[in-house]
Amino acid sequence: MTILKGDSIFKSFQDGKIETQVLHGVSLDLARGEVVILEGPSGSGKTTLLQILGCIMSPTKGTIEINGRPVAASRSRELASIRKKNLGFVFQQFNLFPALTVLENVEYALNIKGIDGKEARRQAQGLVDAVELTNRANYLPRDLSGGQKQRVAIARAMAGKPPVILADEPTANLDTQVGAQILALFNDLAKRENRGLLIVTHDPKVRTIADRVIQIRDGFIHAA
Amino acid sequence: MVDLGFKTLIHDKTRFTITVAGVAFAVTLVLAQVGLFFGLLDNSTISIRKSSADLWITSHNTANVDFPQQFSETYVERVRSVPGVARADNLILTYMSVSLPSGATENTVVYALKDFKTWNLPWSIKEGQVEDLRRGRFFMLDEGAANRFGSFKTGDFREVQETRLRIVGQTREAQSFTTNPISFMDYDLAQSMQSDYLNGRTSYVLVKLAPGADVESVRHEIQRRLPYNDVFTRDEWAKKSHDYWVVSTGLGMNSYLTVFLGCLVGVVVVAQTLYTSTMEHIKEFGTVKAIGGSNSDIYLILARQASIAAAAGFTIGLLFALGLVPLASKVHLKLIMPGPFIAMVAIGTLIMCLSASLLSFRKVANIDPSLVFRT
Ligand SMILES: Nc1ncnc2c1ncn2[C@@H]1O[C@H](COP(=O)(O)OP(=O)(O)O)[C@@H](O)[C@H]1O
Ligand SMILES: [Mg+2]
Repeated sequence: MTILKGDSIFKSFQDGKIETQVLHGVSLDLARGEVVILEGPSGSGKTTLLQILGCIMSPTKGTIEINGRPVAASRSRELASIRKKNLGFVFQQFNLFPALTVLENVEYALNIKGIDGKEARRQAQGLVDAVELTNRANYLPRDLSGGQKQRVAIARAMAGKPPVILADEPTANLDTQVGAQILALFNDLAKRENRGLLIVTHDPKVRTIADRVIQIRDGFIHAA
Repeated sequence: MVDLGFKTLIHDKTRFTITVAGVAFAVTLVLAQVGLFFGLLDNSTISIRKSSADLWITSHNTANVDFPQQFSETYVERVRSVPGVARADNLILTYMSVSLPSGATENTVVYALKDFKTWNLPWSIKEGQVEDLRRGRFFMLDEGAANRFGSFKTGDFREVQETRLRIVGQTREAQSFTTNPISFMDYDLAQSMQSDYLNGRTSYVLVKLAPGADVESVRHEIQRRLPYNDVFTRDEWAKKSHDYWVVSTGLGMNSYLTVFLGCLVGVVVVAQTLYTSTMEHIKEFGTVKAIGGSNSDIYLILARQASIAAAAGFTIGLLFALGLVPLASKVHLKLIMPGPFIAMVAIGTLIMCLSASLLSFRKVANIDPSLVFRT
């Protein structure tokens, strides 16, 4: 069942008088329980596409559907509300809250998504257990290794059970072995919980866990 | 809810300290400055409030207790015969020059009465007997005079209006808004020392009402018999003296200006540190937005930080100001901070910090969550 669908997406950036066309009519879909890898060299438009699919920015042209519903909104407040209900993000640079512990980082995301109090604490604990950080739950991010940080980020992206998880270069700041562990964890969680997972990367090793690989070059999709 | 605002604020201890110190500084500035002003204002009416006189008779249009004009001392007889008057006495208030051992000359405000005890003047005595004032060329000086006159002891002599007078006692809390030290001496002695000016003349008539007498009818009758004088109740006369300094001299305005400047310092410090801190954490605010947080989630964080800075800064500022009270009293300055005034400063501090946070909010409300994807 398709959970996320982008159709003929165009995106250009206006920088003064110069207009840069970054995406040239890209189409892509993702089903529940499916792991899709979007591969392409640096500067090919991967992050831009991920942000459009993730309702962070709007396309210049083209449509997005989440759960069968078109994303018509362009106001930032409505986009935020769509992200809150449907999407989880994992960033290349982790972007954890440095003043919060592992457990609190996950719990705060649950709070934002409308889950509060004891229930938030319980779910956060469950997610921290699922990424095998039970004995690091009260650590601050600065006391964690890169791999551990990315595990927290994954737990946070899972918070609130969003049907779609989008990850931008999740292994780029990790060494190979740790990266492989993270990918295994990702795959495991996506399958077990039936989430759609789109991983954007320029690292060819990531394809090992893919159900499907899509290539992007200069803003055009090439089937792999 | 995880308290992201609070935890982020105290995560950077140096900045947190600077923010709180800035607020505390502004709070102490306002409390101490206005408290000192209230203390001075208290001086402007203290003799009126402490004396047991129910009515004060002044010459027409006297502006405040420290600026008397003299009138005939025989008027007191007309007052004494008014039904409902239990007692009426003349009070001279005059300025006399005092030659100091250093060679300098200063002025003292002299309260001269025949019977001090009856009128509860002076109201607080540190050393000596007020009855002794009638027994010779004596006077009592307030301990606060040490600031202006240099240190002195009971038993010392001072040259007052070219007359050697012995200090036979010391009083407490007898200070004038004019900052001239107050002294007390016998009525006849004061008249003889400034005879060309005070002979047969008084500054005020103090009136005590008989039990059960109606204030308004007594006042009316006195006014009828003394058409060229004013008659005030204790409260009216205190208010007139107080308002003279606040309104007529512009000192009230000056005090408002201090409060305004104090608030300005506070707002600038808080706005500045909060804004810098917000800019440093901009990626975290972007993350809050990316995971679906709304602008109200963001404002909650900033408002929380501002309120914590306000609460901590106010508490420390208040403690500081309270710590200044005993220090000020050592140099005979009064710092008066009434409860409602403290409450107003507390509310003002919160409003000040919340408005400072609006600057940060305007910035964060407009950030694009896509910044969290940039490397
Ligand atoms: N906000 C922007 N304004 C202007 N150009 C941008 C912006 N974001 C991305 N680009 C340009 O779009 C192209 C694709 O960027 P990006 O999607 O980040 O590629 P990738 O993630 O594949 O490395 C790059 O040439 C980049 O400079
Ligand atoms: Mg990228």
